[in-house]
Amino acid sequence: MTTVWAIARHMIAEGIRMKLALVFLVLIGLVVLGLPFSISGDSSLTGAVQSFMSYGLSATGVLLGMLTIFMSRSLADELVGHQIFLVMTKPVSRWQYVLGKWLGMTILNAAFLLCSGVTIYGMVHYIKRTHPPIDDRYDKAELNNEVLVARHAVRCTLPDFTKPAEMEFEQNLEEGLYDSVPDFDPAVEKTRLASKYEARWRVVGPLQMRVFEFENVLCDRSPDNHVQIRYKTDVSEFASDEIFRALWVFGDPFMGARQVSRPVRQVVGRYHTVHVPADSVADDHTLTAYFYNENPYEGEPQYRNIIEFRKSNEVAVLFIVGSFEWNLVRLHILMLCKLMFLGAVALLMTTVFSFPVACLASFTIYVLAGTRSFIKEALDFSSDDFATMFTSMKEFFVQLMMQVYNVIHWIIPDFAKFDAVESLVNGRNVSLVWVLQAVFGLVLVKTVIVLGLAILLFHRREVAEVSV
Amino acid sequence: MAGQIQPVVQTAGLCKTFKDFWRRPHVEAVKDLDLEIKPGEVFGLLGPNGSGKTTTIKMLLGLLYPTKGRISVLGKPPTDVSVKARIGFLPEESYLYRFLVAHETLDYYGRLFRLPARIRSERSDRLLDMVGLRQEARRRVGEYSKGMARRIGLAQALINDPEFLILDEPTTGLDPIGARQIKDVIRELGKKGKTILLSSHILADVEDVCDRVTILYGGQQWAAGDIGELLCKTDATQITTPSLSEKTIAQVRDLIFRLEQKDILDISNPRVRLEDFFLRIVGEAQAANIRTSGARGGGEIPDFLKQPTESSTQEVVDSLVFAASQKVDPVPIQAPLPPEATGEPSSEVIQQLMGSESAKTTPEPVEAATERPRPARPDRPREKPSADASVIDELLGRAKQETEGHSEDKR
Repeated sequence: MTTVWAIARHMIAEGIRMKLALVFLVLIGLVVLGLPFSISGDSSLTGAVQSFMSYGLSATGVLLGMLTIFMSRSLADELVGHQIFLVMTKPVSRWQYVLGKWLGMTILNAAFLLCSGVTIYGMVHYIKRTHPPIDDRYDKAELNNEVLVARHAVRCTLPDFTKPAEMEFEQNLEEGLYDSVPDFDPAVEKTRLASKYEARWRVVGPLQMRVFEFENVLCDRSPDNHVQIRYKTDVSEFASDEIFRALWVFGDPFMGARQVSRPVRQVVGRYHTVHVPADSVADDHTLTAYFYNENPYEGEPQYRNIIEFRKSNEVAVLFIVGSFEWNLVRLHILMLCKLMFLGAVALLMTTVFSFPVACLASFTIYVLAGTRSFIKEALDFSSDDFATMFTSMKEFFVQLMMQVYNVIHWIIPDFAKFDAVESLVNGRNVSLVWVLQAVFGLVLVKTVIVLGLAILLFHRREVAEVSV
Repeated sequence: MAGQIQPVVQTAGLCKTFKDFWRRPHVEAVKDLDLEIKPGEVFGLLGPNGSGKTTTIKMLLGLLYPTKGRISVLGKPPTDVSVKARIGFLPEESYLYRFLVAHETLDYYGRLFRLPARIRSERSDRLLDMVGLRQEARRRVGEYSKGMARRIGLAQALINDPEFLILDEPTTGLDPIGARQIKDVIRELGKKGKTILLSSHILADVEDVCDRVTILYGGQQWAAGDIGELLCKTDATQITTPSLSEKTIAQVRDLIFRLEQKDILDISNPRVRLEDFFLRIVGEAQAANIRTSGARGGGEIPDFLKQPTESSTQEVVDSLVFAASQKVDPVPIQAPLPPEATGEPSSEVIQQLMGSESAKTTPEPVEAATERPRPARPDRPREKPSADASVIDELLGRAKQETEGHSEDKR
């Protein structure tokens, strides 16, 4: 380990003294320190902080990814400049050399993440102090309760829509409605019917009520504590002030919960959060919420709106499970896990190719890892819907791309799965389980495999070249 | 086998063929090389550019893998990491990290040898003294001249007090002081029982320090043997005396003719070697305290390098056995190149003295020569001439005094 550490130290010194790391440090500094003065979000304090964190953390991640790839140049440079002759003629194994380089990169990345994390944390508090408030009391409360926290989310339990779908299917079948349908697939039809019932359930007509059930709301149920209901609605018609009115009633008194009502007057098409006393959660940690599509405000007209809770914006209960600080730490660990994998990939490429080729290959993998989900969707879309439009050659090409994707899918991890920036910005908990998944799946499995491959290839190659 | 000394380097049928992009054999850099370097030997690897010297060294160090054949270095394959702890290597160019200062460079390589911090620091200081770069120890190596970088290269090769030192073109780029110092280091280490492989095409360097040499050409071995025997002109005798008068010379000539019926071939005043002359002039400049930002004259060889390599009883016994085996089982010397002559003074000398053309006929090639006591060679630095010693000692002595001055300052 002494040798590995010696090489890692050397790598760090090289990164700093050759000014590569310093350039990236300055860039990260410019991004993190400059963003608060150039981004205002939606002019609210919460918006400013969210925009700053979102752009700052994403930019830091991208810059450190680039730094990691460029740092692998160290190995390439030593091969080209022959400094490796003096290292490999010392009692240094090839695995120690590769591992030392990787460790050096990882330590530099960790140091940079630490610096950027501390700076981002400091800047968040700076924005909080200095941002001109719209409503000082409300703005800060919103920020403290909805952003600078770690909240766990529980989505509402949807009713079983398969039973009514099944019943309608049977009825339609008896009535012979499907007799003339070509290539009729009962399973597809049942799914369609279930979706129809679900869509209907999400719509609340004028003067109608909908019940949302939440299970496993494992919060502190003391009366001075709160849970939050977060939702976004679409409205068919609304008042000229673009505001909809409704009434929420929380808690089932028959289940030992305090019942409270919350009339709401909210802007259409935006996320809203309603605070509910934690003792509205029942003894069995369930929360019942009743949504009435009626105007609870006296003296105002009843708008005959149809209110829709979209599937993509499901109603959720949020309750605080940790602090923003630890959330930020865990997010940085996730970022480090990704950089550790990327470092291993960059070293693998450098052991095989010259630096320009290795750099290109590493960047390609970095981009593929970041856009894996998007690529999958694009390829699925092509193969499902447009395959019949293609000529056979094109179909072949699409299938080939799918196979290539499958290979990539096995080799390259989905970085989006470990991207916690959105969660942090929305005050969602970056769970320890998530971090452990990254440590195990990304570092202990995939990084170890890639590093092992790099060591194997480096072990087999001659570090000297033709000189006759 | 018990009692047999294991060679430090042994190769058998060593081949290295470089292949092109399509994996077709492209260049045969080394062909069927059988090499054996014994412990304590200063071995010279000679050959013109592209003869396979560096390729051979790279294979010995595990930087290149042989296409065919076997290599054993200190009894193990060259890829064995443990072997490398006992090897020092100075490559043909210095290949240092430009961003490190000299002291950090030595410290880094010391770390790779897992030397404790105190020893690393001590050795780095002493080696920097030795190569005359103590005062430049905090400068980045990237700013060094080529010669200064070579000196750091030498220092790093010695940081682990190696048992086996490989020097590839060690004097390239060095000023005569540096070149001389490297030769002194080689001699000193050779005396202490270290094994040294010296690759060079500067023949004077090799001649000065090597016990045995092998000459490569086109990747093949063309000659190998004891350097004294390969170069000795046994058909002539040289006597060096203080300056003689014409009368005495005439009497000596008469005496030789009376006793041996031979005439003197050449009478002249011996010349000082240019290297010695240069060192004397630079020594004078240093004595005048002329400022320089380059390397100093260099200091004393550190004590840790002066320790004998082997000290245990068994090793002493082994060395005695080795000496005996040398006598009993001499290593054959190949001598395919036409030697000057061997054996007793022959009729050729007389014929030459008589001006006969027949004296210029090529002598018969010798059979594989046997190991013999090395003939006395007044020009060999092994028996260092007093002139050489005085100059280098003067330089080293001054450096030593400076070092002592530094240490006093520190106190």
